[in-house]
Amino acid sequence: MSITRLIRSELRKITTTKMPLAFLTVLIVIAALNAFAVVSGTDMDGSKGFIATEADQQSLMAFAFNAFMGAGLFGVIAVSREYSHHTVVPTYLASPRRHRAVLAQLSAVALGGCVLSIIGALLTVAAVAVALPTTDYGFLVSVSNVIRIIAASAFAGAAGAILGTGIGAIVRNVGGAVTLTVFIFFVAPGLVVQLANGTASWMPATLAAVISGTLDDVGALAAVLALAAWAAIPAIIGLVAVQRRDIV
Amino acid sequence: MTTPSRSAAAVHDTGAQVPVADHRIDVEHLTKRYGDNTVVDDLTFSVPAGRVTGFLGPNGSGKPTTMKIMLDVAAADAGSVSIGGHRYRDLPNPARTVGAIVESDAFHPGRSGRNHLRILADATGISQQRVDDILEQVDLAGVADRRAGAYSLGMRQRLGLAAALLGEPPVLVLDEPGNGLDPQGIRTLRDLLRQHASRGGTVFVSSHLLSEVEHLADDVIVINQGRLITHGALAELQHAASLVRTLDASRLADALQQAGATLRTDGDDGLVVRGMSLAEIGDHAFVNGIAIHELSPHAGSLEELFLDWTSTAPHPEESSQP
Repeated sequence: MSITRLIRSELRKITTTKMPLAFLTVLIVIAALNAFAVVSGTDMDGSKGFIATEADQQSLMAFAFNAFMGAGLFGVIAVSREYSHHTVVPTYLASPRRHRAVLAQLSAVALGGCVLSIIGALLTVAAVAVALPTTDYGFLVSVSNVIRIIAASAFAGAAGAILGTGIGAIVRNVGGAVTLTVFIFFVAPGLVVQLANGTASWMPATLAAVISGTLDDVGALAAVLALAAWAAIPAIIGLVAVQRRDIV
Repeated sequence: MTTPSRSAAAVHDTGAQVPVADHRIDVEHLTKRYGDNTVVDDLTFSVPAGRVTGFLGPNGSGKPTTMKIMLDVAAADAGSVSIGGHRYRDLPNPARTVGAIVESDAFHPGRSGRNHLRILADATGISQQRVDDILEQVDLAGVADRRAGAYSLGMRQRLGLAAALLGEPPVLVLDEPGNGLDPQGIRTLRDLLRQHASRGGTVFVSSHLLSEVEHLADDVIVINQGRLITHGALAELQHAASLVRTLDASRLADALQQAGATLRTDGDDGLVVRGMSLAEIGDHAFVNGIAIHELSPHAGSLEELFLDWTSTAPHPEESSQP
């Protein structure tokens, strides 16, 4: 069984439901909120200091952590609903060597998460660029930094999707899987930081900011590897779990 | 559904498939436990090619679990299943060798029937033209672009059947394929499966529609509580009972049961006896001094047989292999 065929099949799964459209709608809303913030938002002193410098604007447009979370939810829903709708059964009938099916699923969902994240980053950059002329500030972010924002979003999106895929394969129930994903994004990092000093720099939000160029707590390469590790751990656990379990 | 001939013929038309004779299913000492509950218990049987084999058992008897183990969707705790001598996972292109229905609603409700099949076709290297063909064959072409979630039960069943037939497989493993089909759909399904078998295909089908199985199956395999009750040619099994009439039915029943027969009453003076020949029944009546008024072969309906087979818990010695 060709892995290419399986990936193609998984991509068709993703593109033949309304889920990508729903996520696209969310991305448009996020971009609109950014534009609204630029037009209407102020600092505590009433100024527009939050968009006064290139770094401020880059920070506003940095989409990587949003991409990580959004793609994580995208991945977890895409995979866990496979179990709830039993569509995983024909998948495993076509590919009884399950690791191949899961790798195809990881590839397709990662690609989906990556594409959605690029769209989200582009929409956010565009929304800010469109809104800035309503203020006293121009678009200050360099082309190279815009590219970095988009590239960081693409990577974080792919990583988030892989994390979500892993969790979806582990938990299977859509509600439970989404809850666990939200816990990992919002609750677990805080707990880890409280329990282990010096770990704040290795939490997804910080790592996403580092690869977007808005923080420098750790090196960019280290941030990339650490974010990849956040994604890989649940993906590997999911891969192992899928090999061993009955599909009932 | 329209004429099944295209799919059935394709059993032979697909050149890449191994010879049909290789496509028997062999189940050997299969055991499956969930915790302390033994769902499949040392099950051994074969499903030959070229015949329709019905798989019967009451609810909870382990039929779907057995089928899932056949297809490597569930793992056995002991024993093995082979299809043409290979485990399912070792078949070169399993979905094109075995067509299966193991979950009746295995589709995303928001996805169209056509896209559901396209996804399967993509995964198995089947042409999109074949998707259109199979939709015509199962009479879903007109609704193929509607959400599958809006399909009636019968339409969903036909979509599942289309998925099973998509790869033109020589082996069909179908769990309750007739559920929700209207009489015309059942008739067409029956014709399709019979033609598939007549062309050398292997058909293994579970159903609780006993009258349908009676019309469809050449052989039956009956399980209860995960254990084999009986298997063999349906026609032989249906004639494997004897009817004896006597005014002393109670005493004769005791004598025959002590001798190992299984039986049930038929009116005040009748006993339907299995597991014992006419001569043996006559001998036991003679030895016990019981006058008998009738002793004849008894051909029961499948429903009658099924109730006889499954009304008591199985014991190893009760399993018969005619």
